Amino acid sequence: MSAPVSSFSLPPPVSSLPHAAEAYHIPSLGYRIVVATLRLVPLIVVLVGIPVAALTYLQSRSITLPVSINTVLVYGVLLCAMSTARYILRPTRAYGPVSMATAAVTIVFFLTLLVQSTYHLGVPQSTAVISVTYTDLIEILLVVPVLALVAGLVTTIEDLRSPTERLQFDFPP
Amino acid sequence: MAALLPLVHRTPPRLYRWSRRLRRLSLLVFVVVIIFLGTVAYSAVRLVQSSPQSSGYSAGFAANGTMVVSGSVSLSNPGFYPLDGFELNLRILNSSGTYLGALLAGPVDVSAGGATSFPFSLSLPVSTGSAAESLLVTDQYLSVGIWGNATYAYLFPASVHFTQNKSWGAPFALLRITPGTPTSQGASVVVPVTLSFSNDASFTEVGSLAVGLYGSNGIECGASAFSLNVPSRTLFDQTQSIALAAGCSVAGGYAQATFTGSGATITLPREALP
Repeated sequence: MSAPVSSFSLPPPVSSLPHAAEAYHIPSLGYRIVVATLRLVPLIVVLVGIPVAALTYLQSRSITLPVSINTVLVYGVLLCAMSTARYILRPTRAYGPVSMATAAVTIVFFLTLLVQSTYHLGVPQSTAVISVTYTDLIEILLVVPVLALVAGLVTTIEDLRSPTERLQFDFPP
Repeated sequence: MAALLPLVHRTPPRLYRWSRRLRRLSLLVFVVVIIFLGTVAYSAVRLVQSSPQSSGYSAGFAANGTMVVSGSVSLSNPGFYPLDGFELNLRILNSSGTYLGALLAGPVDVSAGGATSFPFSLSLPVSTGSAAESLLVTDQYLSVGIWGNATYAYLFPASVHFTQNKSWGAPFALLRITPGTPTSQGASVVVPVTLSFSNDASFTEVGSLAVGLYGSNGIECGASAFSLNVPSRTLFDQTQSIALAAGCSVAGGYAQATFTGSGATITLPREALP
């Protein structure tokens, strides 16, 4: 099935590019919204469903949590929404800034985890307390959104300098 | 010719290539970390399932007025990642919360898929007046606090702390030195002295127990030695006659016993005499 084509919300093609009309093939806004909605399902499962279910399971067994369920829920929903918006806005100049914003929210989330990165687990019906520090892990994980942030910045600069430059590679005909 | 080629065949611009590389690198780091985390979780579960085992636990007298508790801890690491700097701190309090002693075992490194065993030895001074003196004559529960520290899979410093109550069997539990009625035998006075105790320790006591009777002024009135060969969990009850020095009265005084055996000399707590 070929996607409907639309130039909605796109800046006008740069006249210096030869064959600009055939250079890229942007799906219509409606098509992108449908795909983004379908994409949202696994995102919600991974970013919200599984973490919240795991924390609820631990809490129901009187095991203290390293981070509150509400924190995971809020950041999970926020990241799902931003990731969806990012997908829909990919053909536009807003793609770079939204990518940066998504990365920034992820960084804030990881920093929230970093502050509480020593987990004290009181074993139920026992005097045992197990403590695990995962500061190093979070610091390594922070590399992921930092790289994404820089990538978003580079895309933003590219879109400012040459608005349609990347479209022929992101949306080849 | 170049102008006729479709644009998608052109080399992407430099900024685009950088952006794409960064996004791919970000994804690669994320995937590697997730795979690493998954294997760490799997390995950690296997490590926890093969929790440390203590073996060869024993207690005995040492030469310098101490009791020594010794044993070994074996640890296997069936996972994919090493356990570095594993060390065990142990702290013992008696039933009234008085600190008796502590030990540090390790640190040792346990490689992935490996196992190790390291011995530990804890000396408890049981000389007269020391905090652990009651271990000689009183069965009790000891509070054993255990701290374990290690770094797992290079990135995860972890510690475990728990407290256990361990029953302690005293080697001279319920020690009683009971003098009987003095009798005159010619020019001297003889008093029958009954020595009784229960060996609740885990080892056999072999040696001798010298018993001295002292007057209220601290002067020794007489002494004798009991020969011991008392297996674990056995009662000892024996009476011997002790000749008292002329004019020496043990009324209001005390009895003092000293155990000698297994290369050790241990002075037991005083027993007040009626």
